[in-house]
Amino acid sequence: MIESKLGECVFTQSEIEERVKEVGAEISQDYMGKRPLIISILRGAIFFTVDLVRSLTIPFDLDFMALSNYKTGFKKVEIEKDLNEEVADRDVIIVEDIIDTGLTLNYLTRVMEKRFPSSVVTCTFLDCPDRRFIEVPIHYSCFEIPDIYVVGYGLDFRGDFRNLMEICTLYDPSGRSTQILKQMGKGEPR
Amino acid sequence: MEKVGIITISRETESLGDEIATQLSKQLNYICIDRDQLTLLLHEAHQDDLDENIDRQKFLIWAKNVKEILLKQIKRGPIIFLGRGGQTIFQNDSRAFHLLIVSSPELRLQRIMEKYRQDEVTASHILAELDRKREKFLLEALGADWKNPLIYHLVLNTAYYTVNQSCQIIQEAINNLGVHRTPKEQQLLFPSLDFGGKRVVFVHPSEEEFARILDFYRIKWLYEPRTFPLEWDSEGNVVEAFSPDFYLPDFNLFIELTTQKQKLVRKKNRKVKRLKDLYPNIKIKVIYSRDYTHLLRKFEVEEDV
Repeated sequence: MIESKLGECVFTQSEIEERVKEVGAEISQDYMGKRPLIISILRGAIFFTVDLVRSLTIPFDLDFMALSNYKTGFKKVEIEKDLNEEVADRDVIIVEDIIDTGLTLNYLTRVMEKRFPSSVVTCTFLDCPDRRFIEVPIHYSCFEIPDIYVVGYGLDFRGDFRNLMEICTLYDPSGRSTQILKQMGKGEPR
Repeated sequence: MEKVGIITISRETESLGDEIATQLSKQLNYICIDRDQLTLLLHEAHQDDLDENIDRQKFLIWAKNVKEILLKQIKRGPIIFLGRGGQTIFQNDSRAFHLLIVSSPELRLQRIMEKYRQDEVTASHILAELDRKREKFLLEALGADWKNPLIYHLVLNTAYYTVNQSCQIIQEAINNLGVHRTPKEQQLLFPSLDFGGKRVVFVHPSEEEFARILDFYRIKWLYEPRTFPLEWDSEGNVVEAFSPDFYLPDFNLFIELTTQKQKLVRKKNRKVKRLKDLYPNIKIKVIYSRDYTHLLRKFEVEEDV
């Protein structure tokens, strides 16, 4: 049973700010002369989306979408909050907090494709390829992380830690997370 | 009838795939886009066509451009896309209907002899060369076995049907796609837990929970659909085999769940390695106990399943 207690810092606030600006600049460059529709996936991606769109130098439209989470007994994923904007013929950028298994993104991409956008790309704050079940295309990614459980900057553990300005591990009594972070040259105790 | 925006036709050389595409295009009033048409569309869009030195990377870039161009066509009206790895370009696309046309080697050879007015020996050389080129392109395009029936909605053998009959069968298949299926029939197609859940008997509760997660995200799955022989004795009898837990047809991917102890995991890893050696085109992903725990934790599911 995991404890609701923080472990080590993985990415500091300044590292996050710097990298988000870089990705924002990259998107601004790629979409020069266009007006993309940024779709933020609630609730985790909201913090990242706000900082990302602030760093854009191109015009854009912003919309939000929320999907139901898997719970035992629930049969199908549902769109809890759909878009207000039309997607047809738009250049869509889906913004996620983390892409791990690829299950949610795969579903989202299928939903978008049926709405005939001009293009669809994905921008994620964190990419965790080690946990991937299904291959999904990721076009913009701020950080790649190993197979560890992290919180902060929108990512929560049972509702906690979303408002952290940095990315931290959850306390891991096995010491595995600490060991992995050491190999990355990271892991300042918080 | 579900909305089919594109019918992709993959075909063996001289299997009547081209003739079927032409006739179907007239009957359904779909625009038929073959290789020449596609080259023209690429040219109009100032995009390069594939050259002879194709590789997977080149194919993926080309495929992205082709998909964009064809999606614009689909907005104007439905299309038939003949060859060129259409089944890969529109893989998992709910607007697509993927068709594979095959025929017997004898008939295909006969057709080559008639078409090129050649004797049997020369015709067999021509057929072998055409097959080789097609195999090469599709191997690079798919990175997997393009004749795997599981990546198509329908596989048709024209050794048994004329072009007319084939077109009737295809139309019928499209008309019945996803409709007129009772829950029981649906269950036979994909034994999703949604349709009763009694048909599939899972070996371990973790497999059942995993199946529910796939159902939740509307990912089609089959439970232990295929057994791969791994070892044979001197008389050719199978002495060791491996049946991965799940197959996801839309991803052409096998999944093996393992929530076992380390000793058993080693044994399973050895089997997976052997499977990869013997069947290099098979895609398999092993989900270990830690991956599975992460998944359950993410969904806040009790971790003792």
